[in-house]
Amino acid sequence: MISPRFRLVPHFGRAPFQVTANRRETELANDGDRDWEALLAAAQGGDGEAYRAFLRAILPYARAVARRRLGDESQIEDVVQDALLTLHRVRHTYQPGRPVRPWLAAIVNRRAIDAARRRGRIGTREVSDDLALETFADPEANSIEAAEASETLSRMMTGLTPKQKEALELVKLKEMSLAEASAASGQSVGSLKVNVHRAIRRLRRGLDRDAAE
Amino acid sequence: MTGRATEDVIASLAAEASPVRPLAPPLSRAGRLLLVLGLLSVATIILLGDLDGMATRYAGRESMMMAETGAMLATAILAFCGAFALSVPGGSRAWLAAPLPAFLLWIGLSGAGCYDLMLRRGLGGWGAVGDGDCVLFLLGASAAVGVPVLWLLSRARPLEPLAVATLGGLGVAATAAALLQFFHPYAVTLIDLAFHLLAVLIIVAVAALLRRLALRPA
Repeated sequence: MISPRFRLVPHFGRAPFQVTANRRETELANDGDRDWEALLAAAQGGDGEAYRAFLRAILPYARAVARRRLGDESQIEDVVQDALLTLHRVRHTYQPGRPVRPWLAAIVNRRAIDAARRRGRIGTREVSDDLALETFADPEANSIEAAEASETLSRMMTGLTPKQKEALELVKLKEMSLAEASAASGQSVGSLKVNVHRAIRRLRRGLDRDAAE
Repeated sequence: MTGRATEDVIASLAAEASPVRPLAPPLSRAGRLLLVLGLLSVATIILLGDLDGMATRYAGRESMMMAETGAMLATAILAFCGAFALSVPGGSRAWLAAPLPAFLLWIGLSGAGCYDLMLRRGLGGWGAVGDGDCVLFLLGASAAVGVPVLWLLSRARPLEPLAVATLGGLGVAATAAALLQFFHPYAVTLIDLAFHLLAVLIIVAVAALLRRLALRPA
């Protein structure tokens, strides 16, 4: 049976609500601890619902212990989950009737220490390659690069004659056949071939010049 | 990972909430182990021990022998209690230092015994008398005692296997050394003592090396 979380204890010669803040917090904490003890003892007996309630109830405390040990917010949830798995494996070591907090804190602390050591080992053996991240893994970095390339191409296209630009757009960018491009532009097939060739040559020279700069 | 993933972990663990039998308190388990070891040791000493040889060896130095054996037993008791206490989450790390005074007393008294022998026998009290049998006895007795001890410790799936294995190994070595007192046919010289210490170190090191295999840490 789970004890109610809020319970007013009668105080003789004093109104129940005159309990000081600290005392009340202590009482509530004690009630919480007794809940945990009852839930964990029930979980040891195979009560899945009590176990679920226990694991949910201890999460804030487990996170607080992990935070105190690590300080790195990104690792806390990993450590808490690791601690829950460990708790599951060693739940038979809890002695019913004993306080849960020291037992639980030892588990979370252990897993936090392991996580900190693991991070230390990775830090000494592996090197972060920021350029690799920007070029291949980060879509925003790649889109910036693509935008820069597009800007360069647009700038170079302004150096082409109108007929060369039209021929290049129809044949190479829109991938029309020469006959279709001829019908669309009014240029003869021969003119289209010559204009595309000259446009590409001019763009290539522009790229070489950019690379040299 | 996120809070959602934590909820998933909780759900999967709750689904696997099979009944488990809580372990008895660590000191109670250590006490039961010591009781069984004590009974078996007494039976072995009565049946196989060289009690006459021991009486001759310690003639006139009975109090020294009792103090030395007492220090070995105290080391074993404190080391076993520490190993069991640290095998469950929340055990005090002060247990790591608990057997140290008794261990130092054991080494000190053994060293004093060797020094006394040297004074009485001159150079004859320096060199090795034994032929390695005592080291083999220590290793053999440690294996016989160590296997069940490590199995008992492994039931808790210790979170700190190195500390548990080291204390367990020390307890096993001290038990074997105390047993050796009743089977050793001659006085211990300084070289013999060095071999005994080497055997103790080997036993503790083997226990520490086997910690992952033997203790199944969580």
